[in-house]
Amino acid sequence: MTIPVKKFISQKILKKEVLESGLCTGCGACVGLCPYQVIYHDRTVQLHACDLENGKCYDYCPRTSTDLNKLRNLLFDAGDMSPEIGAMKGYYFSRATNPQLRENVQHGGTVTALMELALLEGLIDSAIISSPDREFGQSGLVVKDKVELRKNAGSKFTVSPTVAVFNQLEGTKDAGNIGVVATACQALALAKMKLKSVKEDRGKIDQLKLVIGLYCGWAFAAQKFNDLMGQNDIALESISGMDIPAGKNSLEIYTATGTKSFPLSDMQECIRNACHYCLDSTAEYADISVGAARFGDNWEEMRHWNQMIVRTQKGRDLIDLAIKRGVLEVKEAPTESLLQLKKAAVEKKKAALQNIIRKSGSAKNLLYLDCHDPVVQMFLAKQISNKKSR
Amino acid sequence: MSKLLSPAGAKVLFMGNEAIARGALEAGISVAAGYPGTPSSEVIERLAGVAQERKLYVEWSVNEKVALEVAAAASFAGLRSICVMKQNGVNVASDFLLHLTASGTRGGLVLVTCEDPGALSSVNEGESRYFARMLEIPLLEPSNFQEAKDLTKWAFELSEAIGNVVMLRSVTRMSHASGNVICGKLPVKTREAKFDYDGSVMDSQTGPMISTPVVAKHALHQKKLKDVEALFEKSPFNKYVGPAKPQLLIITSSACFLYASEALSMLNLQKRVGILNLSCTLPLPPKLLKKYLRLTNKIMIVEEVLPFLEETVKVLAAGMFAQIGGKTFYGKIDETLPSFGELNPDIVAGALTKIFKIKRKSLPVAYTKELQKAAAIVPAREMTFCAGCPHRASFWNISNAIALDGREGFVCGDIGCYAMAALFPATGYYTTPTLHSMGSGTGLASGFAKLDVFGMNKPILAVCGDSTFYHAVIPALINAQHNRADITFVVMDNAGTAMTGFQPHPGLPTSALKEVVPAVEIAAICKAIGAKVIISDPFDLAATSKILTTFMAEKGSVKVLILRQACALSPEKKGKKIFDVKVNEDLCMGDSCGCNRLCTRIFRCPALTWDRIKKKAAVDEVICAGCGVCYSICPQKAITKTEAASK
Ligand SMILES: Cc1cc2nc3c(=O)[nH]c(=O)nc-3n(C[C@H](O)[C@H](O)[C@H](O)COP(=O)(O)OP(=O)(O)OC[C@H]3O[C@@H](n4cnc5c(N)ncnc54)[C@H](O)[C@@H]3O)c2cc1C
Ligand code: SF4
Ligand code: SF4
Ligand code: SF4
Ligand code: SF4
Repeated sequence: MTIPVKKFISQKILKKEVLESGLCTGCGACVGLCPYQVIYHDRTVQLHACDLENGKCYDYCPRTSTDLNKLRNLLFDAGDMSPEIGAMKGYYFSRATNPQLRENVQHGGTVTALMELALLEGLIDSAIISSPDREFGQSGLVVKDKVELRKNAGSKFTVSPTVAVFNQLEGTKDAGNIGVVATACQALALAKMKLKSVKEDRGKIDQLKLVIGLYCGWAFAAQKFNDLMGQNDIALESISGMDIPAGKNSLEIYTATGTKSFPLSDMQECIRNACHYCLDSTAEYADISVGAARFGDNWEEMRHWNQMIVRTQKGRDLIDLAIKRGVLEVKEAPTESLLQLKKAAVEKKKAALQNIIRKSGSAKNLLYLDCHDPVVQMFLAKQISNKKSR
Repeated sequence: MSKLLSPAGAKVLFMGNEAIARGALEAGISVAAGYPGTPSSEVIERLAGVAQERKLYVEWSVNEKVALEVAAAASFAGLRSICVMKQNGVNVASDFLLHLTASGTRGGLVLVTCEDPGALSSVNEGESRYFARMLEIPLLEPSNFQEAKDLTKWAFELSEAIGNVVMLRSVTRMSHASGNVICGKLPVKTREAKFDYDGSVMDSQTGPMISTPVVAKHALHQKKLKDVEALFEKSPFNKYVGPAKPQLLIITSSACFLYASEALSMLNLQKRVGILNLSCTLPLPPKLLKKYLRLTNKIMIVEEVLPFLEETVKVLAAGMFAQIGGKTFYGKIDETLPSFGELNPDIVAGALTKIFKIKRKSLPVAYTKELQKAAAIVPAREMTFCAGCPHRASFWNISNAIALDGREGFVCGDIGCYAMAALFPATGYYTTPTLHSMGSGTGLASGFAKLDVFGMNKPILAVCGDSTFYHAVIPALINAQHNRADITFVVMDNAGTAMTGFQPHPGLPTSALKEVVPAVEIAAICKAIGAKVIISDPFDLAATSKILTTFMAEKGSVKVLILRQACALSPEKKGKKIFDVKVNEDLCMGDSCGCNRLCTRIFRCPALTWDRIKKKAAVDEVICAGCGVCYSICPQKAITKTEAASK
């Protein structure tokens, strides 16, 4: 008689470890791979039971265990690594040169300008960005030209299951090479695909040529955000943009009829639960990561600039090309800005670790993180020493 | 010409239900009404088939209670009428039946109940013999096909003799098996419908048809039942076969007589055991019983399902103790025989071997071996919806919508083919945890929906079929709407009473007699009570799921989704494919991550098969009904569909 081995059913474990534990970021990495997982109103839903082991859904999810060290070695040069913000080949302030392009963008339009360039130069054939969806709040969208790119510029702070769209595209011939604009969790999921992809999928994942990461403090849960807007008589369709101006501690919602301001403390409620367990504020697993410049006293000036971290050679080449083609204005960023950035990154890491330990009940169980990972260990040590000194 | 109209003296192969129908014709009935339900449906169907020749009015009524009311009206007007239903139907009819037996009847009225021991096509194996006892009406139980006809005919005379309803009970093995019957004469009918009601209130033949004065009429009713007892004492339908001095007396009725006879011949006990086969089982004739109980001290009662006859016999035997002495009884009460499920000759023989302490000749070893070998290769067949069944698509939509909604909503199931969703959870994709009587799903949903104040924050759904909607759902639906029960109510309208063989119902423009009649629209009824109504095609998965999720999310009272798609076996669809579907093996992902056999593992249309060697899905063209739904679910678009040529 054979001894029954307890099967590790990927979908089941994903449900238990991620969905039911409140760790699901809504990134969409487990969606679109198969008929079993779908996203509905930013919730990841399992429609029917799957009984496979070693499934992609579990492997790609950014909130299941990952050998981060292996991933770093795979993607980055060892010399570029920093514990706070990951790999860095360069750190700059930047903005799109074209003022027309800048009209609709979040900050400096760096992201949109880079994607436009990559498409134009044939580095990629399809760009996956995020687009407002009447029913779902935000969802991934495949675009092939600059009109669509520009139309969908600007940040929407609700969760976007962008990776699901990549899953549906990969392997389709007409998609060609693909570039993705991704928040931190989405970038991690895309990176995990490179690490874990099964043999027959490797070709498909090789189509992924570029990941532009967005800095990410947190994202809003769609339902809660929509409810709040509803309570304040703000029609979702009327929202043209949103931002958190430096030094103001509030979220500004821009609509056709004016700006509405919400204190960040009031917005806490709307933050997706999973974001409290995320250690990554700079999309560490992207080729280039872009955020608000957010430096100095002149916000009105600086809000039209980005800061960016160039992480890979591919990223470096793209920036060089952008400068050469004159689409980006790039300047060295001051060291204080980098220090500020790192400080904020450490804050997020520490807070997340604390939340993880609170959830698991033990510093030895870090849920999706490995307590032996050198970077994790570093912040874990800090945390424990902080606690002691208090 | 229908064989039902065969001339007198002809020997005809009738199925039990046809024999009953012929008996009714020989009795000269004018009206027949019923509600379809296996194993009863053929009686009304066959009568409808000869309605024109025999000048009958035959109808499929909206439910059994109304059927009995329709039949009773004929009786009140002096005509003979038959009312046919399955055992569950008697429960539905019982409210009226209770009052009807109290008011009495005029023209012969026979209530035929075809019951289903073993619940072969029912969700219970309930008995209506107890209704006969409770309502104090005569009960007849034929044990062969000739008797089925003859007893039915006689039942009308009996009904007229006592001015009350007579119940005739059949079971699946009687109704659906066939045997030779010698036909009697078909009468020339002369009766005219005439309803007098100006006579004395105590005269049910001329006065008003009411149950009052209750006590006086009850006493009269019981007196008449005594007359029946006297008739049963002499009835040729109660027979004894066996030795003059048996070591054991079997008392039995109905199909159980056949099981008992066969068991005796299996064990070669014919010379040692006698059988008293009773066809008139209530009121039990005491003198007759006394005569045969005296023959021996060991009595076994063989019946289906509960110890109804056994109880009656024991009560009589106790009363006769002084004359007949003590007896040892074998039956259900002492667990010699099971009081659940169908009986068969094997079970009866098993009981006899214990009583007689004998061994049965065991089967030859070689034979048993062959049997085991054969059993191993018989493919395990699961109960499921047919290929192309719209219910599969409907439950697929419901299941997905419930998952998307995310609040663990559930479905209150109901009676029809779609009951399978509750009986075999994988068939309903684990959506349907309750199943009771017709219409009860909607009533339950109405109740569940009011539990929100006690913390039940989930969407509540109910389903019902088109025929069930008319049968018993409407009051529950009105209840839900009026009490603001927030439910999503799905009518699976497959254009007929599919489960029992496509009898028409009030939603269709045809009657049992194939006349054109006004159709009563479900959507119009729902709208009239103020419910929100949307009609969709269950095969359109995207549209249907969307309506369902919207309904579940919407606060309100009753939201009705009518899913319209004819049954795959319906006469207009049978054999006609809309699409030819095929699996493109190059695209099929099979059991690898990315699909994991969605079509054959989860969706499970019986026409979709899994090729274990190729590890690809395939379509069995013979079984496939060509609905094209599998095309819509395949994540790879590996299932292709093209318009069928044979359309
Ligand atoms: C949820 C979220 C949180 C953020 N948190 C911070 C932060 O804390 N600090 C900081 O400096 N910057 C943060 N950013 C990044 C910042 O808002 C800008 O996106 C970034 O500075 C790039 O600006 P840009 O002018 O180059 O962008 P644009 O050129 O306007 O391009 C923005 C791109 O982001 C995509 N996008 C919009 N919304 C989403 C979304 N919800 N998910 C994924 N992609 C989206 C758009 O499709 C577009 O391609 C956040 C962004 C998001 C979406
Ligand atoms: S990704 Fe693979 S393992 Fe996961 S649910 Fe889908 S088919 Fe199953
Ligand atoms: S975090 Fe992403 S991959 Fe993981 S369960 Fe949620 S949506 Fe799926
Ligand atoms: S088309 Fe597909 S779902 Fe419909 S009957 Fe044929 S195999 Fe079954
Ligand atoms: S659903 Fe499609 S891909 Fe999956 S096994 Fe069936 S035919 Fe193949």
